[in-house]
Amino acid sequence: MLEILMDMLNGERGPDFLRALKIVFLAFLTIAALAIFFAPAVKPGKVNYWLLRVVVTGSLLAVLVYQATWQLLGFTKPEFVRFMRRYNKRPNAAEMQVTRGPILDRRGMVLAAPVAGDMWGRRYPLGEAAVHPLGYYHSKFGITAIERVCDPALSGFAPEKREDLLGKGLFAQRAEEGATVTLTLDARLQQKAYDLLEGRKGAVVIMRPHSGALLALVSSPGFDPLNPGPAILDEENSPAFNRAVQGRYPPGSTFKILIAGTALNRGLSPVYACPGMGYIAGPNTPPIRDSEYYAYERKGAEWPGWGRLTMKEAMTHSSNVYFAQLGVGCGPEAFNEMMVRARINEPLIYLKGDSGELQCSRGNVPEISKKRTLAQLAIGQGEVLVTPLHVACFTAAVASGGTMFRPRLCKNEPVEALVELFAPKTAEQLKAMLREAVVSGTGKPANIPELEVCGKTGTAQAPGGEDHAWFTCFAPRKHPNLVVTVLVEHGGFGAKSALPVARELIEEADRLGYVRQAEEVAK
Amino acid sequence: MSRKTQGLAPVGAATGLFLISVLAVLCACLSVLGVKLSNAPVLPLEQLIPLGVYVAGVPLALIWLKLIGWKGDAGLVGAVLLLSGMGLVIQFRMGSFSAGLSAPMALAPFPLGLAAFVVGVSLTGKGRGTWLAGAGWLAYLAALGVLAAMLVLGRRYRGGMYMPGNMNPSEIVKPLLVLFLAAYLSRRQKSFSETQNGIPVPPIYALLGLVLLWGVPMLLTIALKDLGLMVLLNAILIVMLFAIARSTGYLAIGLAVVTAAGFGVQFISSHAQARFDVWLNPFTDPTGKGWQILQAMSAMYSGGLWGAGLGSGVPQAVPIVSSDFIYAAAAEEIGLIGCGLLLLVYAVLFSRGFRAAGAARTPFERLLCVGLTGSLAVQTILNVAGVTKALPMTGITLPLISHGGSSLITTLLVAGLIVGLSDRK
Repeated sequence: MLEILMDMLNGERGPDFLRALKIVFLAFLTIAALAIFFAPAVKPGKVNYWLLRVVVTGSLLAVLVYQATWQLLGFTKPEFVRFMRRYNKRPNAAEMQVTRGPILDRRGMVLAAPVAGDMWGRRYPLGEAAVHPLGYYHSKFGITAIERVCDPALSGFAPEKREDLLGKGLFAQRAEEGATVTLTLDARLQQKAYDLLEGRKGAVVIMRPHSGALLALVSSPGFDPLNPGPAILDEENSPAFNRAVQGRYPPGSTFKILIAGTALNRGLSPVYACPGMGYIAGPNTPPIRDSEYYAYERKGAEWPGWGRLTMKEAMTHSSNVYFAQLGVGCGPEAFNEMMVRARINEPLIYLKGDSGELQCSRGNVPEISKKRTLAQLAIGQGEVLVTPLHVACFTAAVASGGTMFRPRLCKNEPVEALVELFAPKTAEQLKAMLREAVVSGTGKPANIPELEVCGKTGTAQAPGGEDHAWFTCFAPRKHPNLVVTVLVEHGGFGAKSALPVARELIEEADRLGYVRQAEEVAK
Repeated sequence: MSRKTQGLAPVGAATGLFLISVLAVLCACLSVLGVKLSNAPVLPLEQLIPLGVYVAGVPLALIWLKLIGWKGDAGLVGAVLLLSGMGLVIQFRMGSFSAGLSAPMALAPFPLGLAAFVVGVSLTGKGRGTWLAGAGWLAYLAALGVLAAMLVLGRRYRGGMYMPGNMNPSEIVKPLLVLFLAAYLSRRQKSFSETQNGIPVPPIYALLGLVLLWGVPMLLTIALKDLGLMVLLNAILIVMLFAIARSTGYLAIGLAVVTAAGFGVQFISSHAQARFDVWLNPFTDPTGKGWQILQAMSAMYSGGLWGAGLGSGVPQAVPIVSSDFIYAAAAEEIGLIGCGLLLLVYAVLFSRGFRAAGAARTPFERLLCVGLTGSLAVQTILNVAGVTKALPMTGITLPLISHGGSSLITTLLVAGLIVGLSDRK
């Protein structure tokens, strides 16, 4: 008899036999439980402990309901799904069978793709050039960045699939394939920007001013997403650190765009005397001087100063002396308000995923109460710190005619206007100033006449080494369609190291058709 | 005699319930055997001994009940028998009996437990229970003795204290202290029933006496670092105070005190704090402290609504699953449906236990029945809630199902006492 049973179990019908047995068992268990429930009870006595019965039964019911939120709806908890994918030892567990979805760029180029037959396999065609926005998916080091926040979608547990998963979860618990995540990035620009940084520590942000769509989000140096171990341990170069969104740097002269906007929004456009000796905001504050002062000093000469400057001239020459006075002139109230509006002290969210958001670091601008502290801050020095993404966003606000859009990486995220940062008139005036700064000012090397580049250099004093170099710009002036912000750590003069990168990127973007377009493109 | 009991004698009804339970248990057993056989074609006869004792021994126990003229609640007996039968199948499935006759200690608990059940029924059945009141102080001293002995002789193992031979005698402390409390409180019913505006205000001397007497075993459990036992004992005290005073004030105050104590204990014991942290966020250390509970949740999740089928899951992935975490194994293999049915049977057991208490003739029997039922109920709730992460783990076993000889024997003794108390004539 044992042999007949064995043959039945090991034969084709074995699983069916076990399934039938399971159903019969559950049926008997149900009958037994119900019979016990309805069995004749003793006659109730004079004391009735109904409250104890209600509390105990209610507690058991509550536990069962809570259990159901895990047992049936566990797939709605991303951390739990991640745990099971890594550590669930059941060989045919549902979450093991899902092929992880690919990540594509805006044109459908593959940025990350699964490897057939390898649960943890992942292919990243751009390698270290795109590792920061994409993150990695590694059996030992876990999941980061887009791979992390889009994990439910990529692994087939996306909200839109929940309904049919619920049905399947109850009966078979199978999901087939993860969803595809399409980004706003352009793989070619991402790669080009990474190459142009040539391994220097720095960051590039390229975005569409009218929609916040990020075309490139680059941090250098990069690292191999298939082997993140060494990068995580490298404390000297910290390649795992995403400088474009996590790096906090003094903005230097790029901050003058915001200060000029603050004044213009309030209808101020003063003319200030800018003497060579600089400007002293008050007792015990060091003089603010133009960079020319130091250049002359090194030659043994004395800088005579710019004389009287209008705002446009001051922007062209990037005069610290002027902007220190302008900052003081605007006053703490206007300054503080602008910082709030520009969201410098807030983390900007650049991707809203199913399991969390990607956001940049908070910048740092202290709440100002005294006018004189504004002299330092107005030229982007002192206590003020921003991320490259913050600079790109306020530059984009100028380009878009005043509106600051939320940066976004995922193609199907809706366009979201964050704030009217500049009045339309202010934005026009700023555009003219930034154009002039490229035509005849510090940004001259970026002048590509047919593309009407508008931009601002920045050179920010950095502790322990050469200054950080900034260049933030947009083009063309008439219908701005591209914003490029470049930061090179310890790159010296902004015009020297950051600007050439930005220039080449604008040219490349133009070749790819992103710049010269008949109208403003939001996509 | 009412018509109902004439129509269907309690023992007859209990036998009927047992027969249905046997069908469910045998199906479960076949399912486990099916998987075991497809892996190795040898019938594990020795491992089936406990189940054989179940099928053959329970009728003998029922015959004994008939002989002593027991006329209690048949539903109680049915619930105890169904749950212990399921416990045996699940333990068989988990391989607890896999050493066969070479480890008789693993096979013995159910036969001994069945005997303890019969003894329990005989002690309290037919209204005989009142004489136990005289043993109140003896039970108190015995409980202290057991705790003290554990403190001296016990070995620490996985956060619990065990005596030589891997016994955990702290199980017996619970019914002993319930017996003491029932005897002590029933003589002071008047004092503890005094309330003002719903808030219980027992005279200070009565309260002081209770606090002093209760303090000794509490200090011993603290010295033993047995958090689960301490929580359980205090919950029992609250239930019994409520039962004697029948004032919701005790329940409310007690619940508040227990919650506060449970919250506060993490500041005293690092062990408790770790359990608390894991409960709040198991994902901060998923491969360390959160490992066991997360594996348990994974087991449940893979079980889904219908379960993998008994024998077809992989509950071994959960560390020490056959003891405290047996509920996770059950959830994986019999599904949420099966769990719901098990909890239903538990609920019937407790509900009928409390009902039997209400019907008891003397305050002592009433209190004894409430305390014994309450101890099983609190134990069940704490275990199941801990395994499903609804509450922090307290390291308490699941009555009638968890692996553990002392636990099973004691639980069956307690169940027998309750079944006996349900027969008041």
